[in-house]
Amino acid sequence: MPAATLADRAAPAALRLPDRLRLGAGIAAGNLAALGSRLANRGSGASIRGQVLTRIAPDAFKLLLRGRRIASVTGTNGKTTTSHLLAAAVRSGLGADTRRLVTNADGANLHYGIASALSAHRLADIAVLETDERVVSDMIEYGRPEILVLLNFSRDQLDRNHEIKSLGRAWRTALERAGHDGPTVVANASDPLVVWSAGTAANVVWVDTATSWTGDAALCPACGAVLSTAEGRWDCPACELTEPAASWVVDGASIHTPHGDEVTPQLRVPGTFNVSNAACALAAAVELGVSLDAALAGMRTVTAPAGRFATATLHGTTARLLLAKNPAGWAEALPLATSDPVILAIDSVAADGKDVSWLWDVDYEQLQGRRVVAAGPRAQDLAVRLSYAEVEHQVVPDLASALATVHDQRASAPGVNGAVPQAPVDLIATYTPFQKLLKMAGLR
Amino acid sequence: MSAPVEIVLIYQSLLGIYGDRGNAMVLVKRLQWRGIDAKLTMVEPGAPVPATGTVYLLGGGEDAAQVSAVRALQADGNLFRGLDAGGVLFAVCAGYQICGTTFTIGERDEVIDGLGLLDVETRRGPERAVGEILTRWTAPDGSQRLLTGFENHGGFTRLGAGAKPLASVEIGVGNANDGTEGAVQGRVIGTYPHGPVLARNAALADHILSVALDRELEPLERPEIDELHRQRVAFVRNQAVRH
Repeated sequence: MPAATLADRAAPAALRLPDRLRLGAGIAAGNLAALGSRLANRGSGASIRGQVLTRIAPDAFKLLLRGRRIASVTGTNGKTTTSHLLAAAVRSGLGADTRRLVTNADGANLHYGIASALSAHRLADIAVLETDERVVSDMIEYGRPEILVLLNFSRDQLDRNHEIKSLGRAWRTALERAGHDGPTVVANASDPLVVWSAGTAANVVWVDTATSWTGDAALCPACGAVLSTAEGRWDCPACELTEPAASWVVDGASIHTPHGDEVTPQLRVPGTFNVSNAACALAAAVELGVSLDAALAGMRTVTAPAGRFATATLHGTTARLLLAKNPAGWAEALPLATSDPVILAIDSVAADGKDVSWLWDVDYEQLQGRRVVAAGPRAQDLAVRLSYAEVEHQVVPDLASALATVHDQRASAPGVNGAVPQAPVDLIATYTPFQKLLKMAGLR
Repeated sequence: MSAPVEIVLIYQSLLGIYGDRGNAMVLVKRLQWRGIDAKLTMVEPGAPVPATGTVYLLGGGEDAAQVSAVRALQADGNLFRGLDAGGVLFAVCAGYQICGTTFTIGERDEVIDGLGLLDVETRRGPERAVGEILTRWTAPDGSQRLLTGFENHGGFTRLGAGAKPLASVEIGVGNANDGTEGAVQGRVIGTYPHGPVLARNAALADHILSVALDRELEPLERPEIDELHRQRVAFVRNQAVRH
């Protein structure tokens, strides 16, 4: 297969007249609803646009995907950041012609969120689409993506997704059905569940992300045997499933390419896990036909994807906003949070997962010796967890009050030169408080 | 000096998907806070389970993991020896199910022999039980205590003559929507509320420890644990009123 280049334009979608009319009406109504939402100061309106659009034109997701070159990005953690890195890489490769790119930068990654983004950019022929795990099968079937990035697979919201493997099973089926028409899968070779899920794909580019989270990968997803690990590689002793040899390899802060080059992404988003995300984005960008240099240059422009890692001053406290949704995400975020105090905000509405048992799978012990402000509606659950971890803390459930408390404490205990400390306080939040913070900061 | 009290957390990689190690952390800390020497032993399949455990813990997990855990525990045998020697077993969720005589797995409801430590049988229920649960437990001193937790299970468990319910259900599903929750048989306790159920319910944690040590423990003043208990009880009752 000849390598793709960005000069390859997808064939424009030819829609039947009734589809075109219904889609047109849906888009018009959706845009109106989005405008109303913006005027009422209730956010960008992307979400309401998608909901109105899909109510009027239920096929909007399918129809709007047609006729585009699509790179879909999914996984439990890092979807939004990786999509931003990949979109930036493609944008950089396109040069002046950036109108050819559409992406759901706001992280709205369900059917209607994707439809909303696509409807606002009808003429863009390249789409980088963050895709919720539950939408991946439909994306493969209706979008026929050129690239599917599978980042990682760990337990998240078990009150909804009872079995981690069931999603992977659905992906396998969709990839098998797509056969040779299916996407080139850019997949994390370090994650057994990802490797198994990609097992039916016709074409896979493996990335060794050197990730260390093994909390959800004890058993072979194919046969149920206990996996073994030797010299940093995993293997199933009972069946064929084993860590595949990767063509892209993460090594500390650098990435080895399939052509033997070693590049240092020098990202402006923190954390070694983002080097792993960047490796996947880079592999996907190169598959799409972006040059390595252009892709790297683009990725270096990404600073705060959908507010992640953004710094904002709220109620007198300058805070760096970190999102963590599950134990794997907390394992990444906690080492980044080095401030004293640190604010942690926990909620348990549907988007966070109603069950906060996962608090006990997070190593909060590493915060010993620092002070924690426990915030959010489930602050008391966190407080008990911190007590058992012997971490000093105070409970301030209201987010605004928690930020104000930190400000007041810093003001009343100034530093050696009498100045109130200005260095940002790290604030890690689950999904819902994170969105509230972005709104407070005017970042969404 | 006597050997430290040993809390044994069994097969966390198989049975630990709901933060179940929290129960082990709670037991160890509650001993240490009282000045009692305690240690946590974590054991994974392939390594021998210590036969010297004071309290053994089993957590929640998926179907395949349940089967692997039963096989490994039967091959190892030390859990049975430890219980014969006076150890206590506290098993939650999938760990509770595998303690029974039989349970089922998979789409086709394949029947699997359990460890036979509890006279209970688990079969697929009419629908999955997911949500906050509130039960009443009668402590050994005769006082009634509320237990709060989160349940998430597809199996329904029926008790045989050899096992007694741990508690009665005020809100939630419990064993089989039959008003009972959990099972007690000798020094084995099983319950559905998973993960850190002992973090929310200090009284139950201390009960397990005093059974295991065969003595009363002095009370611990931990207001924020009481406050969490109060909040969760209020939440689940409010939720029940609204529905």
